Amino acid sequence: MNQDKLITMQEDLRRALAKPAEQRRWAMLIDVRKCVGCHACTVGCASENKLPPKLWYRPVFEYEQGKFPAVTRTFLPRPCMQCDKPPCVAACPVKGKDGATWKETKGAANGLVVINYAKCIGCAQCVPACPYQARTIDPGTNHSDGTPAPQAYEAAAAFEYGTKRQRLGGSQPIGNARKCHFCVHRLQEGQLPMCISTCVGRAGYFGDESDPQSLIAKVKKANKIQILKAPKGTGPRVYYVANEKLEVIYG
Amino acid sequence: MAKRGTTRRDFLKTGAAGCGALALSQLDFARGLVARAEAGELTAQELYELGKVENTLNTVCLNCNTGCGIKVKILDGVAAKIDGNPYSPWTMNPHLPMATELGATAKVDGAICPKGQAGHQGAYDPYRITRVLKRIGKRGEGKWKSVPFDQAIDEIVKGGKLFADVPGEEQREVAGLASMYALRDPKVFEEMAADIAKLRKKKLTVAEFKAKHAANLDKLIDPDHPDFGPRNNQFVYMWGRKKGGRSDFSKRFYEAFGTANAHGHTTVCQGSLYFACKAMSEQYAGDGFKDGQKFYWQADLENSEYVVFVGANLFDANYGPPNRTPRITQRLVDGALKIAVLDPRFSKLASKGGPSAWIPVKPGTDAAFAMGMTRWILENQRFDSKFLANANKAAAAADKEATWSNGPWLVKLGKDGEPGGFLRASEIGLKAKEVRKDKDGKESDFEWLVVLKDGKPVAFDPNDEKEAVEGDLFVDAELPAEQAGTVRVKSSLQIMREAAQQKTLAEYAAICGIEPKVIEAVAREFTSHGKKAAIDMHRGPAQHTNGFYNISSLMNLNLLVGNFDWAGGMIAASTWNADGTKTDKQPFSFKKLTPKTGKPFGLSIIRHDAKYEESTIFEGAKYPAKRNWWPLSSDVYEEILPSIADAYPYGAKAVFSYMAAPTYALPAGQTNVEALTDLEKLPLYFASDIVVGPTSMYADYVFPDLHYLERWELHGSHPNMPVKVQPVRQPVIASPNEVVKVFGEEQPISYEAVWLALADRLGLPGFGKDGFGPGQDLRRPEDLYLRMVANVAFDGKEPVADASAEDLRVFAESRRHLPKSVFDQARWEAVCGAAWPKVVTVLTRGGRFDTQEASYKGDHVANKYGKLINLYQEKTAKVKDAFTGKHYLGLARYVPQVDTLGREPTGLIEGFDLHLITQRDVRMTKSRTITQSYLTSSLPENPILVSSVDAKRLGLKTGSKVKVVSATNPDGLWDLKNGTKKPMVGTVQVTETIRPGIVTFTLGHGHWATGASDAQIDGMLVKGDPRRAAGVHANAAMWIDPHLKNTCFIDKVGGSVSFYDTRVRLVRV
Repeated sequence: MNQDKLITMQEDLRRALAKPAEQRRWAMLIDVRKCVGCHACTVGCASENKLPPKLWYRPVFEYEQGKFPAVTRTFLPRPCMQCDKPPCVAACPVKGKDGATWKETKGAANGLVVINYAKCIGCAQCVPACPYQARTIDPGTNHSDGTPAPQAYEAAAAFEYGTKRQRLGGSQPIGNARKCHFCVHRLQEGQLPMCISTCVGRAGYFGDESDPQSLIAKVKKANKIQILKAPKGTGPRVYYVANEKLEVIYG
Repeated sequence: MAKRGTTRRDFLKTGAAGCGALALSQLDFARGLVARAEAGELTAQELYELGKVENTLNTVCLNCNTGCGIKVKILDGVAAKIDGNPYSPWTMNPHLPMATELGATAKVDGAICPKGQAGHQGAYDPYRITRVLKRIGKRGEGKWKSVPFDQAIDEIVKGGKLFADVPGEEQREVAGLASMYALRDPKVFEEMAADIAKLRKKKLTVAEFKAKHAANLDKLIDPDHPDFGPRNNQFVYMWGRKKGGRSDFSKRFYEAFGTANAHGHTTVCQGSLYFACKAMSEQYAGDGFKDGQKFYWQADLENSEYVVFVGANLFDANYGPPNRTPRITQRLVDGALKIAVLDPRFSKLASKGGPSAWIPVKPGTDAAFAMGMTRWILENQRFDSKFLANANKAAAAADKEATWSNGPWLVKLGKDGEPGGFLRASEIGLKAKEVRKDKDGKESDFEWLVVLKDGKPVAFDPNDEKEAVEGDLFVDAELPAEQAGTVRVKSSLQIMREAAQQKTLAEYAAICGIEPKVIEAVAREFTSHGKKAAIDMHRGPAQHTNGFYNISSLMNLNLLVGNFDWAGGMIAASTWNADGTKTDKQPFSFKKLTPKTGKPFGLSIIRHDAKYEESTIFEGAKYPAKRNWWPLSSDVYEEILPSIADAYPYGAKAVFSYMAAPTYALPAGQTNVEALTDLEKLPLYFASDIVVGPTSMYADYVFPDLHYLERWELHGSHPNMPVKVQPVRQPVIASPNEVVKVFGEEQPISYEAVWLALADRLGLPGFGKDGFGPGQDLRRPEDLYLRMVANVAFDGKEPVADASAEDLRVFAESRRHLPKSVFDQARWEAVCGAAWPKVVTVLTRGGRFDTQEASYKGDHVANKYGKLINLYQEKTAKVKDAFTGKHYLGLARYVPQVDTLGREPTGLIEGFDLHLITQRDVRMTKSRTITQSYLTSSLPENPILVSSVDAKRLGLKTGSKVKVVSATNPDGLWDLKNGTKKPMVGTVQVTETIRPGIVTFTLGHGHWATGASDAQIDGMLVKGDPRRAAGVHANAAMWIDPHLKNTCFIDKVGGSVSFYDTRVRLVRV
């Protein structure tokens, strides 16, 4: 009996979590051929991480090419690339041992680019530094702005980086840089990143690519892989499979 | 891990809660959250509470009608996050079996679409109403006061000068429901109904009727037209989205009340799909056809090798993305499935099919494509002749077929060679009719039917399970008649071939605006995969004036390959039964638990299930009728309010609408405002809604309803789901609505509370104390729904398993945030009795779902349709068009788009160069998702898509603002008849993804109510949210029928509204 890829990947994830963190290599793979542009990942992520209006960790860009009737459409989800050489980290002025953003080397978030909201000063220098526009300053707006009353769900806590935190008044992460973190708070619980678990096309893959038995490693091996903005040398941890040349579309 | 963590968490809760300083630092990562979680060291701040089984509740989404299972994650009583319920086959393929422990699923999320993800924003909508609103201004003016629930109910029941404080209505006397509850005696109901049946068949005159029922004529709407029925019919109830459970609740009321006017919205969705399939599923019984099902078939995508999608937008809509998409994306990539997509738009689906998948046919020409395919398939012998030769059940069974067609059956021709009814064996003296008993012992005539076998007539019974009869496929013959002379006959397939041959492939292709070779290529591919090929259609071909025949033509192609009930072919939905009438193990048979009341009779105000020629108004009026009659369709949404405005066939006195937004949802929806603002034609209008919506804004009273996260329903299934299911929607959060007392029970105001309170005041049987019989009350919503769930649990060969001790613990714990007015476990247990442990199993899983393994049996689906499917529709052929008096066609084919009088709308086309269609985006449902900011943030406004060819011609660019105008709406305005005229102005997006000459917009934007505009409640101004008004809603440009004058273009046969036939012009603003 087949099982849903979501179950397979969750088994992979739990196996990975049993390994020492230093031996894991979290990666995401998006098979654009199967992305149907439903934006469930975008909205699921916003709801999971309590994102304010129009701040997205994982937008899906839509492109069309060709002339009627020989047309193609491409749907390109763009999470944070969790670069191995992250320009955003380099741009951050809050450096040092207890800095605001860094490439994590330990624990559940090993390999991810993380932000410490408590240390982020909101200077926004990281925002233009990211070639993927994956970072946004939280402007402090709310979905219920301009309506008769604030709503309870918006005041409910999010769990980013494994910390239960309400986004209220001027509190963190308002004013901070925000970005996708592969839902590290879910990873440590043995759950897939939200964008992957709610992908109706099963276009998204996540796991420990250093485990050859993992689905992501198998799919990566079986297909021609593309990365976005390769010439920038950022070393993305997000891989794409596509019929189109994504560098042409995404630029 | 979770357990130890919980203990530690509880320990830490008080100590750490006030100490927000435990914010993340690099140190936390260094220490390793996973290791600490395993050691039970996580603090309250760190524990991911959304992953706890005690914080998750499984229920069913209703942000569209797909019915995906959802898992709602509760944080401090608030729905904080929604994901897919992994027990539901909508969110995982295959889904987790029900035997899986709850604890093992808490951290397993299924996949749902963005609307599902955003659903809780609909519950936490600042514009929701929580108390009963009564209008203090003119209808639609947006001035309200809150009134006590009981006062509103009393006023509606008793009537009187209810709006004395509204200027101009000081003296207006409103009739209450009590005055419409005129006829009450079940015996009189029965006798009158029987006599009206005779009246329709001209076996009784009106005078005879009046003489016989002299004592009760005052109970009738019009004694001179007794077929209108009792005054009870002047209460009209209409609804938008309603599923099982709530359907049963209302049915209990309107049947007890005795009104024939309870109408749904099917025809605004894809009515002609439902009613064409109803016609195809009519079964031969006795001497005619009956029991056609209002349903349809879809392809079993997970096993198909080739699917032709026609107007089926399955990555954006189509019931729906979460379940259908994962069944095909990998298979498309692997080449295991090939598709063709007929659509004027290069839909997301078409974009996944490879270079030749998209076939951009002109809107409304689907039947031409189908008939071209039909012609090629028949002429090239590419059909399944073995399947088509089967004339009855036994012959089908011998070929391991579950279904059979009437392809070889002989049809009698009329004087001019036109096909009529099927030949009865007695008509050629082959076999005399006989008297048969049905299973209840009732006797009726049975007429044998006839096929030719090797040129000789053979009599057969279509439902015979023993004696297999096959017939010659193509027959054109004269047979000696029983009396004298001859009878000219043709087989259904012969008629089909002749119909297909009326045009050449090139002519069909020209109608579609494509190359003939495309039709041939699709026909060849379609007939190259045995039973694993399907024509899968949805709203696209249905929502035209020719929708019924588009659908029938397309669906007939599936008969040519005989793919029904085969894995990879066409399948039907299958659900666990909830009304307790399926097996004797089910604890609550509602048949037995419902007191006998009068059965509603008489014409409905939409004239469904009735023939014009049989009515008492036919003689004086003849053709064309003022409005259409609907012997083949029901739930004709576009008829309800305009018929009330026309008082045809009679006037209404009160309307109750539930979750209904016809003004927004219907083409030319502005025409519905006429009835809503007419105090004479519609003296009393009350609505159940969660907001003041685009239609409920005209109500006299609006009762706040519950959001779908706060309430019950049994959602049922769709024909693309091979698994037998019954998803159960149930309250997972408390309602903000005012709590009121009905039948002595405290409950938040709801749709059900309205029915209950009305039943209480009217004294309707079957409600309140002992409503279900001695000791079984119906005082609250779940008094009905829990019993239905119990029936679901006990349906089938085996009931579901009892809940484990852990299930019971989790069940109670996960509902700890629900107030007693919503969840009272002791009461629930008492209602269910011995069934309780099984009810808990179903509720905790969010419904009952069979396993994936049980859904297939060899090459067939396990849940079969298993009956006759009509290629030729005798019942349809016997209906006359109420406007022309001509018979409808019994065999489907391409017919052009026309108005009700059968005229091609050339006058409306002239000067309007663009063909308007609509589409869905997965982020919007029609009228209810605009409240959700995650969705509107993602799609702030909907563009008007224009081909680059047209854009160039018209000088338009992406970003140009244009107004949509048509011949029937030259000003391009929504006239809301409240002083507001909202222009249909949208933003152009130039694209290559649409056929030149066509323009489209997605439905769901451009609102004027639902929080989009200002309102005044209790003297306070409630400012609207401009985000909800953004974008364009161009339905008001859609054509108004020139004969009807207050209704959009319609499909006279199948009931659908015309969404895709209008021509418009884009005017730069």
